[in-house]
Amino acid sequence: MADHEIKPSICPYCKKEFDSIDAMKQHVFKAHRGSDPPSPEGDIRLNINGNDYYLSVEPRWTLYDVIHDRLGLTGSKQFCDRGACGSCTVIMDGKAVLSCMILAIECDGKAIETVEGIAEKNHPLIESYVKHHAMQCGYCTPGFVTTSKALLDRNIHPTENEIKEELSGNLCRCGTYPQHTIAVLETAEKLRTGKADGAEKAQGDG
Amino acid sequence: MQDNLRRDPFPLKTYKHIGERGPRRLDGYHKASGRADYTMDVQLPGMLYMRFLNSPFPHAKIKTMDTREAETFPGVRYVLRYDNPELPERASMGKLTGIYGDPPPLSGIAHFEGEPMGAAVVAVSEEIAEDALELIRVEWEERPFNLDVLTAMEKGAPLSYPEMYPDSNYWNNGLFDEMTQGNVKKGFKQSEKIIEFEFNRRSHTWIGPERPCGVFRWKGDVAEVWVKQQRPHLVKKNLSTWYGGVPMNKIQLHCLYQGASFGGWVQVPWNMGPLYCAGFVSKKTGRPVKYTFTRREDFYGESMDEGVYRFKVGFNMDGTILAVECSSICANQIFPVFNAVNHIRESTRVPHLYGKIFSIWINKGPAVPTRCEQLPATLSLTAVFSRVAAECGLDPVEVALKNDGFEGHGKDRFEKEKKGLGFPAIDSLKECVEKGKAAIDWDDKWHRPGTKTLPNGRMHGMGFTWTNEWDDSLGSAEIAIRIERNDGTASILSMGCDNGVEAENTYCMIAADELGLRLEDVSYNPQLDPGFFRMSPDSSTNLSVNGWAIRHASRILKQRILEAAVAPTAKTQRGSMRPAFPDCKPEDLDIVDSVIVKKADPSEGISVADFVREAGQSGPVTSTESGGFRWAFTEPLFAFSYHVQMGSYNPENPRPHLTRQAHFLEVEVDTDTGEIFVVKTVNVNDVGKAINPMSCEGQQYGGTIMGLSRGKFEEMIYDPVTGVMLNGNLLDYKIATTLDVEGPIDTILVESGMGYGPYGSVGIGEDVGTVMTGLLGPAVFNAIGVWIDDHPITPEKVLKALGKI
Amino acid sequence: MEPKKHKETDDMKNFIHYNAYSIEEAVMLLARYGKNACVISGGTDLLGKMKDRVLPTYPEALINIKTIPGLNAIEEKTGKLSIGALATLTQVAEHETVRSNCAALAQAAGRTASPHLRNMGTIAGNICQDIRCWYYRAPKNRFSCLRKGGGRCYAIKGDNRFHSIFGGSVKGGCVAVHPSDTAPALIALDADIITSKRTIKAEEFFNVGVLHTTTVLEDNEIVTAIEVPTQNSVTKSAFIKFALRKSIDFPIVNCAAAITRDGETVTAARICLNAVSVVPKRVKPAEDRLVGETINEKHVGEAGAAAVSDAEPLEKNAYMVELAKAIVKRTILACGDTEGG
Repeated sequence: MADHEIKPSICPYCKKEFDSIDAMKQHVFKAHRGSDPPSPEGDIRLNINGNDYYLSVEPRWTLYDVIHDRLGLTGSKQFCDRGACGSCTVIMDGKAVLSCMILAIECDGKAIETVEGIAEKNHPLIESYVKHHAMQCGYCTPGFVTTSKALLDRNIHPTENEIKEELSGNLCRCGTYPQHTIAVLETAEKLRTGKADGAEKAQGDG
Repeated sequence: MQDNLRRDPFPLKTYKHIGERGPRRLDGYHKASGRADYTMDVQLPGMLYMRFLNSPFPHAKIKTMDTREAETFPGVRYVLRYDNPELPERASMGKLTGIYGDPPPLSGIAHFEGEPMGAAVVAVSEEIAEDALELIRVEWEERPFNLDVLTAMEKGAPLSYPEMYPDSNYWNNGLFDEMTQGNVKKGFKQSEKIIEFEFNRRSHTWIGPERPCGVFRWKGDVAEVWVKQQRPHLVKKNLSTWYGGVPMNKIQLHCLYQGASFGGWVQVPWNMGPLYCAGFVSKKTGRPVKYTFTRREDFYGESMDEGVYRFKVGFNMDGTILAVECSSICANQIFPVFNAVNHIRESTRVPHLYGKIFSIWINKGPAVPTRCEQLPATLSLTAVFSRVAAECGLDPVEVALKNDGFEGHGKDRFEKEKKGLGFPAIDSLKECVEKGKAAIDWDDKWHRPGTKTLPNGRMHGMGFTWTNEWDDSLGSAEIAIRIERNDGTASILSMGCDNGVEAENTYCMIAADELGLRLEDVSYNPQLDPGFFRMSPDSSTNLSVNGWAIRHASRILKQRILEAAVAPTAKTQRGSMRPAFPDCKPEDLDIVDSVIVKKADPSEGISVADFVREAGQSGPVTSTESGGFRWAFTEPLFAFSYHVQMGSYNPENPRPHLTRQAHFLEVEVDTDTGEIFVVKTVNVNDVGKAINPMSCEGQQYGGTIMGLSRGKFEEMIYDPVTGVMLNGNLLDYKIATTLDVEGPIDTILVESGMGYGPYGSVGIGEDVGTVMTGLLGPAVFNAIGVWIDDHPITPEKVLKALGKI
Repeated sequence: MEPKKHKETDDMKNFIHYNAYSIEEAVMLLARYGKNACVISGGTDLLGKMKDRVLPTYPEALINIKTIPGLNAIEEKTGKLSIGALATLTQVAEHETVRSNCAALAQAAGRTASPHLRNMGTIAGNICQDIRCWYYRAPKNRFSCLRKGGGRCYAIKGDNRFHSIFGGSVKGGCVAVHPSDTAPALIALDADIITSKRTIKAEEFFNVGVLHTTTVLEDNEIVTAIEVPTQNSVTKSAFIKFALRKSIDFPIVNCAAAITRDGETVTAARICLNAVSVVPKRVKPAEDRLVGETINEKHVGEAGAAAVSDAEPLEKNAYMVELAKAIVKRTILACGDTEGG
């Protein structure tokens, strides 16, 4: 610490000096905190994968913050945190959306589906993904699965081009794009012919 | 076994799982279902979050720092300052940290904008830690800085790292800093033509999807850590030297699924320093501490090829290359780098070579292996060969075949070398190019540069490049395999990082075939720490080391099983039970589909499961069944082995690279907008033996997409005035989407058997991504007839080359 | 250095969130907070700015208008198509009437950003979004530039490869660009922006003075709908976007055109470029060049050149002039196709 630097045990608000940083901190909490403005919070109910969750959320928390950090549904991933990669995709109101760019407080009452829910239902997409090795490091994979599932919920006759367009917002650094198209095409076939081997068939609305 | 220098003398006679397509991935369900845990997902009770101050300047020292408001911000539990007297001045952060040697875990001087340094705030949430960071008030001593290797080389240029390098910005550090073969002066004299040209590659970076992070928790004097790390053994090693010393047997290491780094993380202070700080604060607060970097902070380094390459090439008009001289001026090489002419040396008969590297310090992040450190060498081979082909008016494939060889020797000597090492003398390059040419209709489609306009108005181009297929990992692997009680399944034990290349499956396939087990009976969880490590990351073609170790361990274990099968069992001081196979010798037995059988009569056997029996406190000798061997207690069935390798990293005794890779590209160039469309890609890799073909294909797809992405878009852009990085996010730093590699990617594997790895295998992990990075250049040249030697090749550069701006 | 008072710093990063249930409520809340509140619809631009702490001040309140019923409908009315402010870009891109009658708008909405962002982003949000400039948007307000009330425009002497080719918005700079894809389409289609106070022609909707305004909206005014006049049968429209990547990216140059012909001869043309200037730029010289001519290579080439005749490229973006020329050409040619709306 430079000579002219301010001693760390001097209160930054009233300049009183203390013996230690800890003593100074205690002073700040007593003398200057006073009436803190209350954290503006909202109470919301989220229905995630069919289960209701009742939460008190800060306005600034994104849906990803709540799902991943607070509810422990760690399947959704955060690659870019700016809406540019698709790794945090969840399905809300039947649409593939980016949970890192949605405020949780605005999702009160919404039904949300995450990759965990898709796996719990044994959706045939999961097996197709495993079979065709549509993953390497796996970090982007949940985002692809949810986006693909939202596509198949709307359309079980997608062309190869339609699949690529729909997945064009999902970044994969390991470069697994070719395998995703194959996996989704195969899943669409399974859904059309009702041949979801040994697994429950996915319902149209997820 | 060490450094296999010859053909595998004892491959298997038949393969069952090795070479099979589509084994079920061990990690597949976890990753597709969202159940794969990564370090970023770790949450522990009472965990605190650590975030670092970032330097707003490219070169600056902290003069004063007032952290009092941050200290007293609600929710903050600790503020760690760089000048905390309890922090050591130096701590072991990993070997080969270049200029840093052993740096301080938290620095007071920044050498690039955005560098995490100065202070770390630890709070009950990430948001609070970030809010509190903004309250830290720093007085900075701004220093002059360099952003460009050429200006940093000039006399009078400011010093980028004055404390470490007070004399100049030049550092001579390479393994092959200067490489000489023959005599280039002589070669130029003999050449019919000489050309000189310059190639510029702008900086690009790894973009690891999982952001850097780690968790540290003390349990008494036991250090428990979770790390995003490609080399977990380094973590343990370095950690053991910290805080006055932590015994290795008191370190609990978790290396969960890894959200890819492609290098990046390798051996640099920003990897280990935050972990040190987290451990320090964890001790102070008594709580687990998790540090995280933002996406912006992950842009703290770059790949090793940023720089300017100057070539002088002498050749004859029949395409024979006689001399190549290259001076490469590369940025921030903290890792000993291969010389830019290295691949030409390794893969060709070019007799005269001289390469000099100037490693220049500039105020950007460190240049580290990023898929991979051989970028300068492969870019150079591509640049030289495609130029020579163009100058001679020849098909570049012909020029490649003409110059194929090794270390200055031609085909005849090459063949002799292959045979001498016990390999079949297969012309790998010829096979690769023939297959590739057929797949892309090369003979019909290739044309002279700038001569083909399509009906849609675009110009058509065909590109080709090649080099050796490499896997020369320097390192060691320790592997153990255990047969589990109760069901006779096999567990491979060794810690390594799983970053998605499906190595674990590959090792299971080797073990299954070697042991005679069914593939579904072999499993491998690399996240468990049995106290020893395989070589890691496998994306660095570590199969050539790990594969051997798996095989050795498997063979030892199989022998052990067969010996136990013929030996008396449940041996105590009071007696013993009959063997499972009385009157047999081990060589009379085999294991087939997880059943120990007599070779003479395979219908007679006992499953491995039944053989090993139960485990447990009530003991295996509890059965009241009558009849011989079913009473038995078999000894624990466990074996370990290891492999050590120096490969090509040993300049005294390099192993010639015998196999080749060839890549073809078809493009269309829109001459009004400069846009490049990738119509088709063909990758051909001679992997010697494709143990896990789908894993190899994954590397071909992935390498192509990354290579073309780098060729088209990727560049780290800095404000020239302030040195601030302008595109530190995934919108402005562009990596390819699924729509950006427009056409199909054909993947072809050749299996010549000419690899030093087990069964004649050669690696592929780094290869395609590295080589494809330079292929856009020749393809675009073939389309428009003008060289663009400044990568990435953006529309702007195409328009400029066409004379439109 | 005087430390800020504890209370002030506390309020900086969190905010109060309101759900508005009617237009009147939204307007009232905005009036209360003045410049200290932001409207949030899709949030895909706003949240990015807030995460990066781009601006010197942080909004005290966010007013969610997604809770206002009836603002997301797309309805055919007499002589026009009414698109609710909260209609998502996906809705707009996929709507049958938009596709058949206002092709440029459907194409523009369909090429904006990525499929996810189109599911979230609204049409009003798309035209109200903030400008793009990596100095302006550098995290933690690293460059306190002209637009933020600071001293200068950093792009003028910096890396301006994606910046304006038609000069600055104010004296001394601001060479940022407006990144919207739907904005030029709405201008080409002569749309009206309906707000809580008035009706504004799309062409007059944009204003980029300093201090983070991009539209002429007053502090307590919100967009409620966009009305596109029904295009007659002899008018065709088209939109082309040029970006480095085929998805996710903002445009480097885009262009929308609506061309009316009598037989083969062009009788009216509305051509609008964007991402080349701080506001969408209707290129009248190109329109004038084209009216009275047929759509062929020669005429569209001249129109393209005319579109950029007054370009003032910066040090690093001369190529954008070439691009703009080419994209104008191609957009006009696309309107000359016999198919499409």
